[in-house]
Amino acid sequence: MVGFEVDSHLQWSQWQLLDSILPTGGFAHSYGLEASIQTRIVTGPEDLKLYVIHVLDNIGSLLLPFVHNAHKSLDFESWSKLDRWLEATMTNEISRKASTSQGSALLRVATSVFAEVPHLKQLRDIALSSSGAISFHHAPIFGLLCGILGFDACFSQRAYMFMAMRDVLSASTRLNLIGPLGAAKLQHQIAPIAEQMVMKWMDRPIEEACQTIPLLDTVQGCHAYLFSRLFCS
Amino acid sequence: MGTTGIVVVQKVGGKSTATRCFSTYPLKLIIPTKVGSSKIDVVWIYSLSYGGGVVSGDCISCSINVEDDCSAAFTTQASTKVYKSIGSKISGQILEVKIGKNAFLAVIPDPVTCFAAARYHQKQVFKIEPDSNLVVVDWFTSGRHENGEKWNFEVYKSTNHIFLNDEQPLFLDSVLLDQTLAVGGIAESMCNYQVIGMLIFFGPKLKCIQSLVQDKVKKMMTAYYLTPARAKISPSLIASCNAFGLKETGLVVRIAAVTTESVYDFLREQLASIESLIGAAPYC
Repeated sequence: MVGFEVDSHLQWSQWQLLDSILPTGGFAHSYGLEASIQTRIVTGPEDLKLYVIHVLDNIGSLLLPFVHNAHKSLDFESWSKLDRWLEATMTNEISRKASTSQGSALLRVATSVFAEVPHLKQLRDIALSSSGAISFHHAPIFGLLCGILGFDACFSQRAYMFMAMRDVLSASTRLNLIGPLGAAKLQHQIAPIAEQMVMKWMDRPIEEACQTIPLLDTVQGCHAYLFSRLFCS
Repeated sequence: MGTTGIVVVQKVGGKSTATRCFSTYPLKLIIPTKVGSSKIDVVWIYSLSYGGGVVSGDCISCSINVEDDCSAAFTTQASTKVYKSIGSKISGQILEVKIGKNAFLAVIPDPVTCFAAARYHQKQVFKIEPDSNLVVVDWFTSGRHENGEKWNFEVYKSTNHIFLNDEQPLFLDSVLLDQTLAVGGIAESMCNYQVIGMLIFFGPKLKCIQSLVQDKVKKMMTAYYLTPARAKISPSLIASCNAFGLKETGLVVRIAAVTTESVYDFLREQLASIESLIGAAPYC
């Protein structure tokens, strides 16, 4: 009976973490979709599926190692090492700023929402008092948070891919590329492919973090050159 | 894996001098004396390969040490061709670089071209000081695309790591293109682009050129984005600039292009002003 209670409590927390109502600012970012549309790489809804798959592949190969390793050790030292390593790995300025703004928002929100877990607040306090030691990148904070809340490693990495897919599809509806129903259908179609990518990139050491879609990175970097734009990245 | 090449550049009588230059098969390093203006203090190092390319299973490992206050340029004579892999053997090149205080190194090679079925790994590690100066060009093409061979290699992996004061990570970049891992194949993720490249700048001597490059690229790309959307097709060359490092002291320019020649033109234009540091304009 006790086991069941723990389990149901975990599920409520998991759903809340992935709920788009959690104000972490994910919807300010298009993952390069806005720049790709204006660069005519994505020209219509028929290109969107492949675009989302490429974004997820690049996120899987580059960021899942950071989610995984942050989930593995929950102390400040390990976190700060991952954060510094990721700061040097995210050589794309636009993506780097998107990552630190979403990461710091997630930690701030999680600290007040999951107030029953003192470890979260302790880590945040140390980070805020050690001026500049932490850049608050999103992927390690997400892994850390999942670990502290007791979610398993597989969940944390799959959930990370789910959120990325959610955010890029949400951006595609606001860029009028696809309607809300079309986006929901696409989300369901891509899910099995995203799962393959989770399996492909999960549980890797950070030394293996890499980009797999270099064109995407070049185009994402052009976001700042756009004449008119809706999103931050 | 044994070292196949070593170069040490030190000050001798006030001049940058290659005090050590060793190379063995399959690598050949040569140090010509008259590459550019004799007024500029610099050592040019050319990397050549036997038969013009990297054969299946070749492992090339080279180290370059540019000591305090010295300048050097490291380049190739033609593109590095990576021939098809036999028995899934991987060919590889490793470059380990150390740059001293107030020293300068430009790594300005021609592109890597992996032929169909090639497997290639490249790793370049740069250990630098806060006032070291570095220019790195790293680029690769889709293969012999004029023969219709587009992104037909098996594996291409390129890693560029820059560490400050020995172990502080400053810039960590890895690209992996693997035919069996890529969803839908590599070619599909490239649209119609045939060349991918990266241009890295770091250091006080490159501050001016960095901001020049940033301005030029911004001008070029904003002009494209200002064109009305309906008349538009993808640009034949896309470039984007990203600052990196504490106080954004470094700059990386990423490039995707339809032709190799257009990237040569781009690099020639952006790097013209490092002539004052290495005595000759790159890619001319």
